[in-house]
Formats: sequence, structure tokens, C-alpha cells
Amino acid sequence: MIFKIAFKNVWRNKVRSLIVITAITLGLAGGILTVSVITGMVEQKVRSGINNEVAHIQLHNPEFLKNYESRYTIPRADSIARIISGVSSVKAVCLRSRLTGMAASPNSATGVQILGVDPAAEKNVFTLYKAIPDSAGGFFTGSRKNLVVIGRKLADKLKVRLKSKIVLRFQNPDGNLTEAAFSVNGIFQSANTMFDEINVFIKKTDLDRVTEMDNGIQEIALIANDNSNIPLVKAALKSKFPGLLVQDWSEIRPDMGMVTTAIAIEVYVILGIILFALAFGIVNTMLMIVFERTRELGMLMAVGMSKSRVFRMIMLETIFLTIIGGIAGMAVSATLVSVFHSYGIDLSAFSKGLGAFGFDPKIYPFIKPELYINLSIMIILTGILSAVMPARKALQLKPVEAIRIE
Amino acid sequence: MNIIEIKNLSKVYDEKTIPVYALNGVDLAFKQGEFTSIVGPSGSGKTTMLNMLGGLDTPSGGKIMIDGTDITGLKSRQLIDFRMRNIGFVFQSFNLIPVLTAKENVEFIMQLQGVDREQRDKRTLELLQSVGLGEKINTRPNKLSGGQQQRVAVARALASKPKFILADEPTANLDSKSAENLLEIMEKLNREENITFIFSTHDSRVVAKARRVVTLEDGKIVSDVSKN
Ligand SMILES: Nc1ncnc2c1ncn2[C@@H]1O[C@H](COP(=O)(O)OP(=O)(O)O)[C@@H](O)[C@H]1O
Ligand SMILES: [Mg+2]
Repeated sequence: MIFKIAFKNVWRNKVRSLIVITAITLGLAGGILTVSVITGMVEQKVRSGINNEVAHIQLHNPEFLKNYESRYTIPRADSIARIISGVSSVKAVCLRSRLTGMAASPNSATGVQILGVDPAAEKNVFTLYKAIPDSAGGFFTGSRKNLVVIGRKLADKLKVRLKSKIVLRFQNPDGNLTEAAFSVNGIFQSANTMFDEINVFIKKTDLDRVTEMDNGIQEIALIANDNSNIPLVKAALKSKFPGLLVQDWSEIRPDMGMVTTAIAIEVYVILGIILFALAFGIVNTMLMIVFERTRELGMLMAVGMSKSRVFRMIMLETIFLTIIGGIAGMAVSATLVSVFHSYGIDLSAFSKGLGAFGFDPKIYPFIKPELYINLSIMIILTGILSAVMPARKALQLKPVEAIRIE
Repeated sequence: MNIIEIKNLSKVYDEKTIPVYALNGVDLAFKQGEFTSIVGPSGSGKTTMLNMLGGLDTPSGGKIMIDGTDITGLKSRQLIDFRMRNIGFVFQSFNLIPVLTAKENVEFIMQLQGVDREQRDKRTLELLQSVGLGEKINTRPNKLSGGQQQRVAVARALASKPKFILADEPTANLDSKSAENLLEIMEKLNREENITFIFSTHDSRVVAKARRVVTLEDGKIVSDVSKN
């Protein structure tokens, strides 16, 4: 019954309640949209980082990672790759030669990482080939020898186009220097311009031919069939290959791991601040309501409504008001987020800056479902906290004074 | 048997600054089934006395015995419960909960008392019929006239089966026809169901209906007349 009265009381002054509900709705919508953009941005950064750059797990010779010296190869990489393919939850594996070198065009030269890959295997693990626009060639299309796939940033730096020749110069595992000309077959453009600037892909078969030797495998990359299986696969590989360094993406790229954790906290800080601000509005409104209903509350106490019931009634009314606003806010936000998610938000006006940090200029905002659960709890807490002061105010009323008619 | 006995009751407001002696040594007793009016000019202490009787305010001195219990000795929590179980109130205005219908308003106290639903429904309907509002059970207060609202308040006051009903100027906001109508209903309930009413007023036509008239002046009883 207290429940019913409290609920009906919310609608007594419709305009005022709607103003409070609208304020909560707008506040939450603003907060949730902001959060969804940030989440979308970070998810995309992490996803594109995983898909284009690091995969889920990588294996190296522990010595290799110290100085990236190509002589520290993974012995018997082929049979290791076969074993990895057999591990449950592993979706695809690829082997890479990784050498440090230089790329030069008639115009300019710069230091690069040269990746000798098997294009077919590479495509099963990485989606970088999808980051090559239709007009920018392909990922080792055609049967010609000495093809190279480079990033847009590097192409710009070297002032080269499709089919241009560039010269790659690198040190082989045995210490000799090799130099060879390659023709640009594709130009990829990932979200991370830094990655695009320093990574150069050639076929391992070409690499081994021009160096007249097997350059070995410095890197094994693999993906699991699901993100949630990464720890499992990692643990399995660690025990199978104690001599190799097995790392997941967040270890290989701590920046990506950190941003994910940082954002998870930041999201709640943003929403917490918004709810805190809204709480002031709610407290103020409810104090006004208690003040306006002095006589009615006095009458209720006079006829036998106990203080604890009066307290509960005001508490409930405040909580209802907050929850209604919260539900409206979350519903509006969920709708907006899903609309923005399907169209995406183009931030290319600012994309130069974003790309340098590995962020995609087109953002697909999104909210993790569990956020709505946690947010609901936060909203209810806000309601409870906002209710205490007005409800206590109501308790201070004395029935005689409240009903006195001057 | 007296259901209420007031002994040497006094109330002083603003004791420390400029003391106002709102009640000054009042002795009074009420019997079951009375229909009594407290009259007197504005400021004579009528409201103060009814508030004391209803346990809404604490006296500065004296005793109020209700059915053998001295209510001046009760703690505020006990007093709330005592009021709910023993006393029906009708105020000058703001009697009803605006968001509830007439029926729900009457039912409200019974719900506080924990009366079960079936009984509540039955009694609510009876009460609203007895105040002539059988047709208006699902109407909200703002759709009722002032007189109808006061009649709902009377029904509400009766709902808890109180020992007596206190009404402080129940007709003050009503036109004369509604006032007369309300008094007739109160009189009928008093006559047919032996319900004790104590009401204050300064309307002479209302006073005329009372069977006993207690007159206050400056916080003292100046006359106490019973008609037969
Ligand atoms: N809360 C209060 N504080 C100070 N004086 C009061 C208060 N309530 C009533 N009084 C004074 O007590 C006297 C009696 O008032 P009241 O009982 O309201 O009279 P009535 O109901 O007969 O008009 C008046 O002089 C009034 O001014
Ligand atoms: Mg008065």
C-alpha cells in the first residue's frame, strides 16, 4: 500500500516528475553515448590490433625478443605449427620470418620490419588483406616474383605507388647483407598508421630465394576460435613448448591491454559523476515535494501512519522517480547506441590524430551488456542515497505543526 | 462510564519568551455516545484542546485519561499506535490522500491496522454508503465537492472503529448546505451506532445540533451545557 501510494505520488505533479525524468534520461543518454563511443573506439583499436597486427597468441625464441636478431629462430617450426594446429580451440596458425631492414625508393629510405610470409596461411590468421582498398592492389595477387605489400604511410613516405619498385636491404640470420628490388603489389591501410609505416610483407619463398638460404621462422602467430579460449590455449602451448616464449596479445602489446582496463574503469567514473550530479536535482525536487506536502504528511502521521512508514513512502517515491528516469535513460541510450552502431560515426575530421594512436576514424559505438546491469545497480543506489535526506526531512515534521491552520 | 477524563489540563506556548496560556486548568469528562461541541471565539484554545485529546500534542500540565490510560505518559511511537487504534480524526481540510480514491482513503487506516482484504472491502462500502457516497467509491478527492470530501473523511475516521471521533472545525470550509448535511450524517451515525463525536466550531447553526456544548474562553471552560 505504501508502495502504491508512493508510485502514484510520482505522477501527482506530472510536469515536475517529467522534468526530473527527462533530466535523468538526458544525463544518462549523454553519458552512455560518450561511453559507447569510447568503448567502440577502444574495442575497434584492440580488435584491429589483434586482427591486423598481433593475432591472439605469438610464439618466439626468447632470445629473439631481446634485440630482434633474426638468428634466434624457432627450431623445427613446421612441426611445432602442426602440433599447434592440433591443439583444441586453435583456429589458425601461420609462420613468419621477421627481419630488420631498410626500404628505399629513389626518393627516400627508411627502417622497416620485413615479414616473410606464406600468404595463404597469413590470410587465415590476419585480416590485414582486408585493409587493402580495391584501388590499392591486393595481398600477393598474380604469380610474379618479388612482390611486396606495404602500408599507405610507408608508400607516402617513399613516394611510391602500385607497381613501383622499392629496394629492400636486410641482414640475414647468418649476418650477410642482402639487397633486392620488389614491386609494390598492394598498399594496406590499417587503423594504426605507425604499423602501416614500419611493416613490409613479402613472400617467404621470395625471401629465401633472394637470400639463397632458409631464413628460418622467427615468429609463430595463431588465433583461437574464441576470445574466451585465449587463456586456455596459451596455457596449453606454454606447457607444450617450455623452450619458447608464449605471449597473448595483451602481453605483446601492453598498450592495448592497458587501454582496455583503463577504459573499463573510466566508463564507470564518467557514469558515476553524471549520476552524482543528477542526485542533486533529485534531492532538491524531493525536498520541494516534502515541503509542499507538509500538511498531508502531518495528517497521515496524525491518523496513525508511523514514522517508519512515512520514511519508507518518501524513500520509495524518490527511488521510483529515479528508476523510471533510469529506465527511460537506458532505453533511449540503447536505441541511440544501436542506431549509431549500425551507421557508425565518422571522426575522419580528427582522424589524423586518432590514427597515430591506432584508432579507427570511423567509430561504431557500442555498450557491453553487463554495463546496463551495473548501471542499473548504480541508479538504484543513486535513488536510495538521494532519498535519505528528503525522507529524513519528512520525519522531522510534527503532526500538530503540519496541520495547524493559521 | 467516562471514556475521557481531563484533569487540570494546561498548555503554555512559548514558555521562555512571551508565554501564551492556550489552556489553563481544564477539567472535563466525556461519556460514550456523546455528541458534543466545543465552542468559543478564535484563539480560545479549541484546537489546542482537541490536539491534546488526540495525542497530537503534549500538555504542559495535567492528565488525559482515555479508557483508563494516561496518554500524556505515552512515548511518541506508542502514541501513533494509540491514535490509530482509538481515535478518529476529521480536520478542517487536507484530510485525504489526493492520489487515492474515496474507497482507498477509507481503507487506508484499516490497511495500517492489518485488517484483511475481505473485511476491508465490506466495511469500506458500508461506511461510504452510510455517509451517502456509495456511488463515489472510485472517485478521487479532487473530483469530490468539499462537503463530499469531509464525508469521506468522516468515513475514514470511522474505519478504524475508534472509541471517539475528534473533528476540529470540520465545517469551516463548507457552505451552509454542505455543513448541515455533514452534521446530519454525523448525528445519524451518533444516533444509530452510538459513535462519540467531539467537534469544535464557531458556527452557531452547527452548535445548535450538539447535545452538549462546552464553551472555552481564554483557555478556560466558561460553560458546559447539556440538552436533553
Ligand atoms: N504553536 C503555537 N505557538 C504559539 N502559540 C500558539 C500555538 N498554537 C496556538 N497558539 C496560541 O494559543 C491560543 C489558542 O489557540 P488555538 O487552540 O488555536 O485556538 P482556537 O482553535 O480556539 O482558535 C491562541 O492564543 C494561539 O495564538
Ligand atoms: Mg482552531
